[in-house]
Amino acid sequence: MDPLHHFRLHPMIHLPHIGPIDPSINMAVISMWVATALVFVIFFLASRKVSLVPKGIQNFVEVIVQFVRDEFILGIMGKEGMPYLPFILTLFVFIWFCNLSGLIPGFFTPTSNIFVTGTLAVMVFFVTHGIGIVRHGPFKYFKGWVPKGVPAALAPVLFIIEIPSAFAKPFSLAVRLFANMLAGHIAILIFLGMIIQYKSLIIAPFPVLGCVIIMILELLFTALQAYIFAILSSLYIGDAVHGGH
Amino acid sequence: MDAQIIAYVAGAAAMALAAMVCGWSIAWLARASVEGSARQPEAAGGIRTTMIIAAALVEAISLYTFVIAILLVTK
Repeated sequence: MDPLHHFRLHPMIHLPHIGPIDPSINMAVISMWVATALVFVIFFLASRKVSLVPKGIQNFVEVIVQFVRDEFILGIMGKEGMPYLPFILTLFVFIWFCNLSGLIPGFFTPTSNIFVTGTLAVMVFFVTHGIGIVRHGPFKYFKGWVPKGVPAALAPVLFIIEIPSAFAKPFSLAVRLFANMLAGHIAILIFLGMIIQYKSLIIAPFPVLGCVIIMILELLFTALQAYIFAILSSLYIGDAVHGGH
Repeated sequence: MDAQIIAYVAGAAAMALAAMVCGWSIAWLARASVEGSARQPEAAGGIRTTMIIAAALVEAISLYTFVIAILLVTK
């Protein structure tokens, strides 16, 4: 059995091509819509009746927002990072819910597709350097890539070394999230596949137990990967806000 | 030998090597951070954040290998 069979996407609603782009709707798109709708509904319900003493769903949302503000913004970027709180918060919650949607049977994990994570990483890339250029001006921002006190002859070489590093950051962000989600779901699939392969009541309980353990581990990893994606993005944006190293 | 068998062996060997090295280095990282926060409990929060970031960077190496192994095996 091909372990990657479940990760191939098949169009469910066919739409006409726009040039080379195929906008057909598949399971990943629907899962992403469900995740987006869930995030919207939860945050909308929580912010409708805001009270000083949180009640009901406001508790849940307030914990997330405060965690993101204290850990990512104030902890890494400092006070100057406050305008970027909505961006980091959206990234964190969206990736978290996308990861969680894969644990519902019948759904697809949008983040186990390299194109989804790649899009998110490219967005972080443009936001990072856009903020740097807007805040410091293009010349001063790119000058900040070279450490202070470096001899003038060495500065261009260091600048050239920094260019691949700037492109490697979004690449590693995308591959890390994608491969983590893919690996976790392949592990679940292999345990489930054992039941079908052996067709024996004596062996069946062990894969079920393994599957439950991996699922609990996945529940942890969904939050952890969203955390890592958001914290690395805020590190990069924090570097840009403070004008390089 | 068949090319497919070579690809299977190469994928398995690459994944085993990457898992060994990355497992060892994450264990080393965790040990250092536990030692650090045991000596200075007030710095535990910052040390934990730094440890998770560093562990994510180390983990990325084994995940690159995982992607390459998957490409080799399902060629």
